[in-house]
Amino acid sequence: MLSSIVLGVAYASAYSLLAVAVVLIYSGTRVLSLAVGEIGAFTLYAGLYYHQHGLAGWKPPVYLAALFAIVGGGVLGLAVERFVMRPLIGRPPLDSLVATLAVALFLALTELRLYGLDPLNAPSPVGDGSVKLSGATLTAPELTILALAVVVAVGLYLFLTRTKFGLATRATTSDPTVARLLGVRVNHVYVFSWGVAGLLSGAAACLLAPIQGSLTPFSLTTALLSALAGAVIGGLDSLGGAIVGSVIVGMVSGVVGSRVDPTTSAGVVFVAVLAVLLLRPRGLLGSPRVAS
Amino acid sequence: MSRPDRIRYVAGAIVLVLVLSGPAFLNLPQKAILTTAMCTALVALGLDVLVGSTGQLSLAHGALYGVGTFTALGLGTHGVPWFAAFAGAAVFTALAAVLIGLPSLRIRGLQVAIASLTFQQFAQLIPAKWDQVKFVGKTFDPPSYLASVTSQYYLGVALVVVALLALAGLRRTRGGRSLLAVRDVEARAAAFGIATGRTKLFAYAVSGVLAGLGGALFALQQTSVSDIQPFILRRSLLLVAIVVIGGQRSVVGILIATFLVDAVPTLIGNRIPGLGFLGEPAQAIPALLAGLLVASIVLQPEGIGGVLRQFGDVLGGRQAPLSARPTETDPVESAARATSLRQVPRPLTQRLPVRALLVAQGVTVQYGGVLALDDVSMEVRRSEIVGLIGANGAGKSTLFNAVSGLAPTTGSIRYRDQELLGAAPSSRSARGVARTFQDMGLVRGDTVRENVLLAQSWMARYPAAAGMLALGSTLGTERELRRRADQALDLFGLRHLADIRLGDLPYGTMRIVEIASAVASGPDLLLLDEASAGLTPDEAHALGDRFLALRDELGLTLVVIEHHVPLIAATCDYCYCLESGQVIASGSPAEVTAQPRVVESFLGRGTLEVSV
Repeated sequence: MLSSIVLGVAYASAYSLLAVAVVLIYSGTRVLSLAVGEIGAFTLYAGLYYHQHGLAGWKPPVYLAALFAIVGGGVLGLAVERFVMRPLIGRPPLDSLVATLAVALFLALTELRLYGLDPLNAPSPVGDGSVKLSGATLTAPELTILALAVVVAVGLYLFLTRTKFGLATRATTSDPTVARLLGVRVNHVYVFSWGVAGLLSGAAACLLAPIQGSLTPFSLTTALLSALAGAVIGGLDSLGGAIVGSVIVGMVSGVVGSRVDPTTSAGVVFVAVLAVLLLRPRGLLGSPRVAS
Repeated sequence: MSRPDRIRYVAGAIVLVLVLSGPAFLNLPQKAILTTAMCTALVALGLDVLVGSTGQLSLAHGALYGVGTFTALGLGTHGVPWFAAFAGAAVFTALAAVLIGLPSLRIRGLQVAIASLTFQQFAQLIPAKWDQVKFVGKTFDPPSYLASVTSQYYLGVALVVVALLALAGLRRTRGGRSLLAVRDVEARAAAFGIATGRTKLFAYAVSGVLAGLGGALFALQQTSVSDIQPFILRRSLLLVAIVVIGGQRSVVGILIATFLVDAVPTLIGNRIPGLGFLGEPAQAIPALLAGLLVASIVLQPEGIGGVLRQFGDVLGGRQAPLSARPTETDPVESAARATSLRQVPRPLTQRLPVRALLVAQGVTVQYGGVLALDDVSMEVRRSEIVGLIGANGAGKSTLFNAVSGLAPTTGSIRYRDQELLGAAPSSRSARGVARTFQDMGLVRGDTVRENVLLAQSWMARYPAAAGMLALGSTLGTERELRRRADQALDLFGLRHLADIRLGDLPYGTMRIVEIASAVASGPDLLLLDEASAGLTPDEAHALGDRFLALRDELGLTLVVIEHHVPLIAATCDYCYCLESGQVIASGSPAEVTAQPRVVESFLGRGTLEVSV
């Protein structure tokens, strides 16, 4: 039981990171992004591939591969914002959602084309140490992702509530036009949202892959689906909601998934999302605007 | 027949002949690949009913395809005849699709798509649990006449053709118009008598039926399924890619895209001539197409269908320019048309003359902390023109929304002595209440005539599914509605614009189309929200004559929201002035506009000092 809870905590942390990325983009741009899973996976694939096969005779250590994944994720996030999402400003929300879907599909299919369907071995970038906790083992990546999720949540909360740029982000959330009239560079907010989301995506990828043992095309998108379910349950425009929802979905996936079976846990998540959307469409902590 | 139409028919005929004669020159694997592509085409066409026509995104059509396949397999392997297995698959998949669509009853956002994603994730894990138990060693054996690859190919062609005919039928009838209204003006569709929730679930059901049939055909073709690859998340995303690359609401584009994504990679086998560096087509082509999808959304959002349309426009050459303004109408003919438009299939009890048509008492509307209407009472007598004036934000449009059932309202609003509050918003137009919106409530992407037909939705009393399949008296009803619509267009001098896209017309003309649509719905009470907004003074003056004509010739009772005070003075029998959600004055226009409080409300407080 305890080990499945540990797994649940690890999933909850990974989903939180991705859900925070989703909420950040949704808050900044009102776009639901399906791309923030595969962005990190794509750069991690490249990093791990060179880690294993070498680059001009030099095999970068795994932590460098991870660093590349994180930084590359940020850069890729910026590129997606600049070349795909920005031209879509003002178009129907459906177009933006499909665009992010297209990006995810393109990245995952390119991974498939470049590296094949066989799972790519994903070693831990933070060492193989572990902590024993009354019968359960917490591995280094599990501990790191939990710590990272907490740091990111607290950091972003402070950033959004205590800094001027955070205020600008929140102003853009509530009304981009008014924010622009008040002198907020709305484009900067969009760039920031996608950049940070890309970094988070990279970080989530290089810690979740070792927890799952390997990396496959679509594996991070699958994790993102759980994070999206969490964000919908918690409320799409609420950072706290994203975390609460991710913890719920993560614990269900970890506990039900390993104690019963993955099908049942996916069924529970589906029913939970359905129930929340029918009974409280804005989500547990979302603002009423989410449901309109 | 116009030139592009001729080209279209010839091209269609050539394609049909090619497809039908296909088995003569295709080898066995090629026929099988094309049959599988037809399965995908059915699912993609079903997805487009949601994405293109209703504005709903499903990311679970891969899973729904699987629901169809496994339902048909489950039935087929247990001795159910193939056609019953197909029907069962269609019905069960439709139920699953409706389940996914349930959240759309509560929420308009894209969260519904997330619900479908979680369904996808759940459903794709199910076969792992029982395919070992239930399906291994059993096959779905088709009868001898469907055992050959060629006969399955023709079954596929037949299903696709039937699907195309049904979708064309849907577009031409009530169901299709309701879908577009939900897509473009969901919050207002109820004013046309459209039950938006039911409409959305109908779209999900139609979509599910098509996905189920695609799945059933796949089950028949495969006889047993051991690999769930065709039904996983990737497949759902690719289906969206097919619809978007093909072009929303373009069946031809979607069929072409399906062929490109689904058949071409397998047909060309292991090599792409000249593009060997891309690697195996089965992996390279989907990746290429995903890249194409990204580019397509940014650069060519209308997809292949949009390209075809532009091509058709070029072939069609220049159209003779039309005057986008209404034409003059002949008074004698107008009188006859007005009489004919007054023939409305409404029970006698709802047509009897009553003194007070609309009585509102203590109407209060509250949005969160904002009191938009505060204890408003008013009465509208039959054959009156009642004016509603007041500054911006006074609550005039909110009062219309309360009558239409589009605002959270308490109090009492009785129409013909029947309480409106609590009744479904979509029931208003059948009772005889029609309205226009301040900023246009029509579907701009559809033609003028289709918009008038949309407003008459409550008179199309056949089930949407019957319209789609042209069953029963559907066609007769539709003919009658078209006749009515054309009469309404004639009455307003708009007939020559009937086939023009509404969004291509100048604003003033669009407003008149909106009034024509409302009149075509055969109301007794017509609520006009700032009909004169955006009109020139001359046009506004002509509008006054139109108000009087609507009352005198069509026997309508009018409530008009107006800022143009001379128009009120010239036409209204009675007038209410609102301020901050309350009635501050009522009486004849002369009485009301003379009251100091009304003047103050419009011009502000204080004395005017004029120094000479």
